[in-house]
Amino acid sequence: MLAQQIINGLTLGGVYAIIALGYTMVYGILELINFAHGEIYMLGAYAGIIFFGLFTAIGLTSYSLPLSIVLTLILSIIFCSSYGFTIEKIAYKPLRKAPRLSPLISAIGVSIFLQNYVMLTQGATDRVFPYLFGAAGFDFIGARVTYLQSFIIAISALLMLSLHFFVARTMIGKAMRAVAQDRVMASLVGINIDTVISTTFVIGSGLAAVAGMMVAMYYGLVNYSIGYIAGIKAFTAAVLGGIGSIPGAMFGGIVLGLVEAMGAAYISSEYKDAYAFVILIIILLIKPAGLFGKSTEDRYK
Amino acid sequence: MERKHIKNQSKNKKLPIIDQPLSTDFMLKLENIHTFYGQIEALKGIDIEINRGEIVCLIGSNGAGKSTTLMTISGILRPKVGNIYFEGESINETLSHRIVEMGISQVPEGRRIFQRLTVRENLEMGAFLGRGDFASSLERIYSLFPVLKERERQLGGTLSGGEQQMLAIGRALMSNPKLLLLDEPSLGLAPIMVSKIFKTIKEINHEGTTVLLVEQNARAALKLSDRGYVLENGRITIQGKGEELLNNERVKTAYLGE
Repeated sequence: MLAQQIINGLTLGGVYAIIALGYTMVYGILELINFAHGEIYMLGAYAGIIFFGLFTAIGLTSYSLPLSIVLTLILSIIFCSSYGFTIEKIAYKPLRKAPRLSPLISAIGVSIFLQNYVMLTQGATDRVFPYLFGAAGFDFIGARVTYLQSFIIAISALLMLSLHFFVARTMIGKAMRAVAQDRVMASLVGINIDTVISTTFVIGSGLAAVAGMMVAMYYGLVNYSIGYIAGIKAFTAAVLGGIGSIPGAMFGGIVLGLVEAMGAAYISSEYKDAYAFVILIIILLIKPAGLFGKSTEDRYK
Repeated sequence: MERKHIKNQSKNKKLPIIDQPLSTDFMLKLENIHTFYGQIEALKGIDIEINRGEIVCLIGSNGAGKSTTLMTISGILRPKVGNIYFEGESINETLSHRIVEMGISQVPEGRRIFQRLTVRENLEMGAFLGRGDFASSLERIYSLFPVLKERERQLGGTLSGGEQQMLAIGRALMSNPKLLLLDEPSLGLAPIMVSKIFKTIKEINHEGTTVLLVEQNARAALKLSDRGYVLENGRITIQGKGEELLNNERVKTAYLGE
């Protein structure tokens, strides 16, 4: 029972962590809570359904299922990244020198726009992602792990590791950290701030695309409003870990997934969505900077 | 007028200031620069010229506009009126990172080390644009400041003030600048560290980098410099050779405490 809940929690937590990374990276660089990020995740889920449907229609899925999944993932990533890139250029960049509340309101506007845009173009009813793997799986320390769950956990882990190495080792990753620490100084050493900000949005949105598609596969159902609740949960995960901190977002996502799985199993699944908010409130009361976060004073030291 | 005509026809479009005698080789020229912070006019029309290979210092009290001048050159602040030319090219509208690419690096006030990047990563950021060869630039910095090599893997924020100043200078040199802007490199340092930093500035200059030095420590700065400017309330009030300024009565009473 416990092992089973850990596996369920890790599956969910991996997805939360990947979405939370998008929030935390953008916050780290722009100090903006990108409320439209949940909608990018929702777009990823729709893109997954649409591209996969396309591959089914042309017969690619019956030819090679893994190939269709990989291609769907890649196309969804490109699709969502272009949205993220464009949203930043249209809705945030013109407000870069405005008071901090303005881009925040702009983000909420983008979020409402995208929900309605998808509702009008894709319909208000649930869309279905084909049930690909069934209940097939394997037993692992007393828990039943489906192939889909292990796929989700593995992909999440892989993405988190890759992101970690990208930020730690590559020049553009280091430039991202430099911009997050001191934007003026970063441009004084010759870093193009706009490129770094765009890269951040592209990466965050690409991650959200993967999360969206994995959730579509996991639950099978998608509608235009799933970005809202997932966005708030991932935001909670980012705050839990300390917003702005990349390892914090990973940790926060996984903890949140585990808490939800445990809560659903041992307390009540009726309150599944409420646990995240209980955590958010507790964290904000006890340690507002989050577990890995720097307090405001440290940030400006 | 005749000369103007000929110059316009020549292919060398690098010098837009046509009446300039050809022998002077201005690297940087600030012409009637006015820079504002909102409604406040911080620079009220300043003119500065820096020749290739010089050390020029800018002295003045707090709030005179020294840092504003450097930030305006680097393109972080924009002049409302006036022109800045670097090697004959106007850089008024040029983006900051492009200005670095053209060869102007700044060591800003307060050093602004990337606290949570390692010493080595700070230096890598200095070489972000890939001007010059990374390995040889790094070797040069490590030979100028051996302590940075020892602390290569430490976070920037863990260094002492003097070490941070060395790192800030090293970081700026990593882009192999033609012109180095230094904002108060001696501020808050122990006297022995101050003389080490000034010695290094001299060395960097000997190796061919032109230097614009902003200092409160006027005596040391003027001794080091070929020429100097005195900035008061956003205006250049006195200018001249280093030793001239050292002997100037007004400079003596206001900045040298004599």
